Amino acid sequence: MLRSVFGKSVHDLWRPLVAWTLFTAAWPAFYIALYPSIGAVEEMQQLLDAMPPAIRSIFVSEGLDIGSPEGYLNMELFAFVLPLLFMAWTIPVAAGATAGEEERGTLDMLLALPIRRWRVVAGKGAFMVVGTVVLGAGALAGLALGAAAVSVPLDMGKVAAGVVLAGLLALAFGGLALLIGALSGRRMAAIAIPFALSVAAFFVNTLGALVDWLDPWRPVSPFYHYIAGDPLSRGLDPGSALVLVAGAVVAGALAAVAFERRDLAA
Amino acid sequence: MTEPVIRTRGLTKWYGRNRGIEGLDLEVGPGEIVGYLGPNGAGKTTTIRLLLDLIRPSRGSAELFGLDVRRHGADLRRRVGYLPGGLRLYESLSGRELLDYFGGLRGRRDRLLEARLAKRLDLDLTREIRSLSHGTKQKVGLVAALAAAPDLLILDEPTTGLDPLVQIELFELLTEVRGEGRTVFLSSHILPEVERACDRVAFIREGRLVAMEAIAAFKARAVRRVELQFAEPVPAGAFAGLPGVRDVAQDGTTLTCSVTGPVDAVVKEAARHTVVAVTSAEPSLEDLFLAQYREAADAA
Ligand SMILES: Nc1ncnc2c1ncn2[C@@H]1O[C@H](COP(=O)(O)OP(=O)(O)OP(=O)(O)O)[C@@H](O)[C@H]1O
Ligand SMILES: [Mg+2]
Repeated sequence: MLRSVFGKSVHDLWRPLVAWTLFTAAWPAFYIALYPSIGAVEEMQQLLDAMPPAIRSIFVSEGLDIGSPEGYLNMELFAFVLPLLFMAWTIPVAAGATAGEEERGTLDMLLALPIRRWRVVAGKGAFMVVGTVVLGAGALAGLALGAAAVSVPLDMGKVAAGVVLAGLLALAFGGLALLIGALSGRRMAAIAIPFALSVAAFFVNTLGALVDWLDPWRPVSPFYHYIAGDPLSRGLDPGSALVLVAGAVVAGALAAVAFERRDLAA
Repeated sequence: MTEPVIRTRGLTKWYGRNRGIEGLDLEVGPGEIVGYLGPNGAGKTTTIRLLLDLIRPSRGSAELFGLDVRRHGADLRRRVGYLPGGLRLYESLSGRELLDYFGGLRGRRDRLLEARLAKRLDLDLTREIRSLSHGTKQKVGLVAALAAAPDLLILDEPTTGLDPLVQIELFELLTEVRGEGRTVFLSSHILPEVERACDRVAFIREGRLVAMEAIAAFKARAVRRVELQFAEPVPAGAFAGLPGVRDVAQDGTTLTCSVTGPVDAVVKEAARHTVVAVTSAEPSLEDLFLAQYREAADAA
């Protein structure tokens, strides 16, 4: 295993990855399992209807009916919780990739080896991606099992579309964390800034649906490309997916370039 | 002439407004052990990290094996073993796992050599690095640097944390490395340690190269403090006029002076009187070093 930068990441982080995958599977399973017993879906719908539209839009997208399991999931899980579960993986892992080693002082020996710096960024970035795929598979499995356990019919194709987009969203913010870590060598900054921006992006998208002057800014928010196309009712929109992929790839490439050029802290 | 293994030209590094090194011209040939000496903050680590392309020069250039380190960094490092100053290792790995990892990234592995080095340094490679003492971690770093059998070893303060016996073993190893025609460039500020092992020493102070020469040449220019004790007071003037003699001082029957080069003339002059005792301290490199600094400071 300890042969490559990627392998070293697996060696160091497979345990947290397994633990987090179990959690990321259990949470959605739990939510979908609760669905039938919230038989009071009607009540919930009433509750939502009673909400001011500004608040309601935070939970539900227009096209979805809370009465369907997909609509319920959209509100309870996909709006913010699932991206957060994924970002809780991608952001710290990416932030720790180079900045973690730089702060711990282990980078000197690593980069004194006959290896290009971008290879280090690539190896660690690849591990972040693979980990996200594992998490996504875990979330899907949790949803499928949870739904089967309580016999709730779920359109797994559409659910998968939502999970894929959530994963891509998390990778875009992970790419940003990789970039900030490579630029600054500071792990905490590389964690805090992408998280703060993800919250801001969330609000730009949700409030932008309601506030006129904010509306033109929605496409700036990665959340817009994640959820505004309603993957849970309309499936995967390749355009949205492409925007998120491009964001992650560009951020990752910039991270590699930035890291190549920098003076590394001793 | 053979191509130098290390060559810097006007190598300069500023950290913002902080001086790292300034206009450094350094040349190290194959098959020598060169000590890189200087007080804290002189710029030793800065120079070394520039050679490894870990930081980038403000001006000037550095070459290893005749190739620019900025353009050929990764290829050049194939031939280099490095021990960082203030070494930090992956704490959760064992020594063996660390060597696995670095060997994997190098794409080259010599388990026999690793085992032999570990044995020489009395190092248990199976233990988790976290659990090792400071000096033992240093041994792991040394084995990692030496295990690639590099043409050039760059060691930043390699003796840190090592007890005297291990230091001797290390210098033994480095001498063997030189014997195979490979080159060692090591920094230190503890002079008596390097004195033993180095062919040449380079002195750096405040970012500038002060001197670079063979240890033997240094010693030839040694300033010795000589103390003569006579049976009765002698005329000091006779000594003051001798070649290479300075700072003659007399206190009753005891006469002390500084002698540069051979002490022959002093001894012969003393022999004209009744000598009770002679004391002459072999100058430590430390003294030479300080004298060198004083000269440089005077010149400046
Ligand atoms: N990252 C940095 N930022 C600012 N200044 C730095 C940095 N690294 C080194 N310096 C400065 O550069 C100068 C040379 O430092 P360097 O670490 O090269 O010295 P050194 O000879 O290795 O000292 P020591 O014997 O203490 O290890 C010092 O004045 C130091 O303060
Ligand atoms: Mg130093």
